[in-house]
Amino acid sequence: MKVWPKGNRNIDFVYPGEDIQSAPKARVTLVGETQRAVEIGRARLMVTAGLFTFAFLSISVRLVDLMVLNGALDTGPTYNAANNQPAPTFRSDIVDREGRTIATTLPTANLYANATEIIDATVAAEALISVLPGLDRADLTRRLESNQRFVYLRRHLTPSEQIAVNTLGIPGLYFEESERRIYPYGPLYSHVVGATDPDNRGIAGLELTFDKTLSQRPAALELSLDSGVQNAVRETLQAAMDRFKATGAAGVVMDARTGEILSLVSLPDFDPKDNGRADTDRQFNRATLGLYEMGSTFKLFTAAMALELGVIAMDSVYDARTPLTVARYTIDDYHAEKRWLTVPEILIHSSNIGAAKIALDAGTPAQQNFLHQLGLLSPLDLELPEIASPMFPAVWREINTVTISYGHGIAVTPVHVASAISAMVNGGILNRPTLLRRDIVHDEDRTRVISEATSKQVRSLMRLVVTEGSGKQAEVRGYVVGGKTGSAEKLDSAGEYSETQIRTSFVAAFPMHAPRYVVLVLLDEPKGLKETFNYTTAGWNAAPTVGRIVAEIAPMLGVYPTTKQPMAPELGTLIEASARISEMALAPAGTGFGGDRAAE
Amino acid sequence: MTDTGFLAARLRRGNMTLAEKLWQMSWSLVFWLCAIATIGFFMLYSAANASLDPWTTRQAMRFGLGLVMLLTIAMIDIRLIMRYAYPFYAIVLALLVFVEVRGVVGGGAQRWIDLGMINLQPSELIKVALVLALARYFHSLSLEDTGRPVFLIVPLLMVFVPVMLILRQPDLGTSLMVIMGAGVLFFMSGVRLWKFITLIITMLAAIPVAWPMLAEYQKNRVLTFINPERDPLGAGYHILQSKIALGSGGLFGKGFLQGTQSHLNFLPEQQTDFIFTMLAEEMGLVGGVTLIGLYVIVLIYGFAIALRCRHQFGRLVAIGVTTTFFLYVFINVAMVMGLIPVVGVPLPLISYGGTALLTIMICMGLLMSVYVHRDVQIGVRGGYDDG
Repeated sequence: MKVWPKGNRNIDFVYPGEDIQSAPKARVTLVGETQRAVEIGRARLMVTAGLFTFAFLSISVRLVDLMVLNGALDTGPTYNAANNQPAPTFRSDIVDREGRTIATTLPTANLYANATEIIDATVAAEALISVLPGLDRADLTRRLESNQRFVYLRRHLTPSEQIAVNTLGIPGLYFEESERRIYPYGPLYSHVVGATDPDNRGIAGLELTFDKTLSQRPAALELSLDSGVQNAVRETLQAAMDRFKATGAAGVVMDARTGEILSLVSLPDFDPKDNGRADTDRQFNRATLGLYEMGSTFKLFTAAMALELGVIAMDSVYDARTPLTVARYTIDDYHAEKRWLTVPEILIHSSNIGAAKIALDAGTPAQQNFLHQLGLLSPLDLELPEIASPMFPAVWREINTVTISYGHGIAVTPVHVASAISAMVNGGILNRPTLLRRDIVHDEDRTRVISEATSKQVRSLMRLVVTEGSGKQAEVRGYVVGGKTGSAEKLDSAGEYSETQIRTSFVAAFPMHAPRYVVLVLLDEPKGLKETFNYTTAGWNAAPTVGRIVAEIAPMLGVYPTTKQPMAPELGTLIEASARISEMALAPAGTGFGGDRAAE
Repeated sequence: MTDTGFLAARLRRGNMTLAEKLWQMSWSLVFWLCAIATIGFFMLYSAANASLDPWTTRQAMRFGLGLVMLLTIAMIDIRLIMRYAYPFYAIVLALLVFVEVRGVVGGGAQRWIDLGMINLQPSELIKVALVLALARYFHSLSLEDTGRPVFLIVPLLMVFVPVMLILRQPDLGTSLMVIMGAGVLFFMSGVRLWKFITLIITMLAAIPVAWPMLAEYQKNRVLTFINPERDPLGAGYHILQSKIALGSGGLFGKGFLQGTQSHLNFLPEQQTDFIFTMLAEEMGLVGGVTLIGLYVIVLIYGFAIALRCRHQFGRLVAIGVTTTFFLYVFINVAMVMGLIPVVGVPLPLISYGGTALLTIMICMGLLMSVYVHRDVQIGVRGGYDDG
């Protein structure tokens, strides 16, 4: 810049800037309008410069205020500044439907050191290890010698440990307020509540889904789960897993009338206090994230669909004498009866041929539509982050219709099935499944999928499976259990169905004359036992497991046993009727027995 | 009158050789700019944890490019700049519309055009274009005309069309910056004071109307500004961490490369908008005040050049670019100190980023051109001799 002006300054007017001009001055006198313009211009330039100066002054004042005045108090390093913020309210509790605490938060103290204030690291480490034996001497000494102003020594001290450390009187040791998530039930609710990280933020399960609510809301989060039921289910499943040497298991108990889940168990599981450090197999939630071909359980849906559409009646008969050939596949029965079967018999003997023929009669679009209505083709709608989307063929050919009719070629989660079965037995209403306590089911959470009459027929079929068919071992005297077995061969690593590794399931409802609860059990790779005559199918392992669960939880849930046989035995006649037809080897076209396929 | 003397006819006509122009340039200003940029390189080196990659090398290359651009622009005759002020404005406005339209087609906010080495943000360039266009407009207006409301319609349109486009992106910070920059130009050109007062009152009255129209994140920023503790882990996180870092810096700082807040990633994006925090943490109050001092020096140059200039156009351009520079510095520094809400404005010559650096260098080039051509006579309509 140029030199500032020297000497005489008694000039009338100069150009803006001329006064800082070193060169010879031109005397130009401006008058009137032009002069005013220039004067205004210059005045305003000064005002603007003044405003800028003021802005910079305020910045500087603020800078000094932030950096030196706050710093002069020597509140120490950054963590103290962070602690000046109001302490966050504790993460709220999670309780079960009876108010029992599933997850809570306790205040704890974190021990840290300002290593610059430690006088003798070795002595301090020695003293600390005497009261906190878990600490590693070498590591502790290294930390104390680190010369850093903040170094954690141990998180989450108990009050007695805190007092002990305080009594040592070592300068340079400090406590930081902290909080710790406690799960009193240990692994019982592992897959439901999930886990939190060391900073108490949800990383899995409901802790993650409701992370924001839990950290803001003072009131506890009330779940639909019942600790008693949950415990019974978990213990029984664990016992079954041990007994049948299964590699995994899942169990679901659902209130058939509200869609509330009373128990959700996936085994093996983990303890949430381990912050989700368990291996992936333990963390995997088989009940909501596992997709399984549910096998014969789907025959219930096939029958319900056909009954609802009026394609069949209970006394329709189907020819199951010879295997069914669709495209280049042959469909055969596991326990082939090789005769004509009525609808109840198809369920009782779990006839693939019969189910396939029913589905073909109803047609592919009807099947797709029905499964869609039941939510079996949509991602699981549940409050957990760990949810799966069903797998089913993109192009739905005739062969797919056939296999899906008995639960192959479609994979859904256990909760999907429990929810759909609830709709089958509760009078035909599908409730959105939930893990939260639901006292009133709102209209947006419920849809009618089948009629009251069809639901009643499905209930009879399920009851018959238990009284006459593959589910006999699920019966609990007095509780009128009904259900359906399902066994599916697992896909091996080559993508072929394995003959030795199977997955069995049993889905049941009780009491069948007025169903209150649906129970589903799934066992992964159960092995044959001497007592089960080396059978590995669902009737021998999943069904008795459900029976035990029902026997345990029914009293807790206030379901009274009955001495009567409330289910009308009228269907028994159908069984005998079909036997007669088979003997007569009729081709009952137009004979009023229904079932178009039967005529072929 | 000598050939080189003050108000020599040759100088008034602007017939200077390239060498003369280079001699006339304020090399000390260039030095101060380089000094600030060098501080920036060191901070970027530190932000990358003592590594030239990925920021320092690229930023240095861009600064070199910007320096060439600055010198080139400084050589351009101010009357040429004035002549092309409107076309330049029109082109930038068209780019702004283009980005808007493409953003709509692409299904999201898109503020930039990819030019390979830098992503061009028309919303940055409009700051320069608007200064030039307004300066040209007010240059040709007498003070009497400036006082008449009718003559204010055109410049107001020139401001509000781009502002509306930028608001739609949506970028509240940049649009406010454009409005404030233009406001200073209006003020400098002699628009009556009562008009400003009326406008300010109207704007205050419009707040309740405009509030529901703001995007959710913008509302959050304002609310969080009023009370940062409202959301300490979300929107308030930046301000809190920034204040913590500033507070931990103390008088002399923790030392180069020793800042914990930034190196431990408590401060996200420490290489861009929050780089001042890092500087203050590592260099302390002394470092922060030094940098602010350097900025103040550049601003003083800007004002002195405006004061020294003999034509209204140059004066307004100088004030305009100085104001733009001031706003960059002030908004950024005030933001990291929690004096104003968090808006995405970079710290000039320090923050990593292409377009902002380019804009600043263009601004400084224009300022230099005004200085080089300070004695040129410009007519009311931009002619060479009709003044």
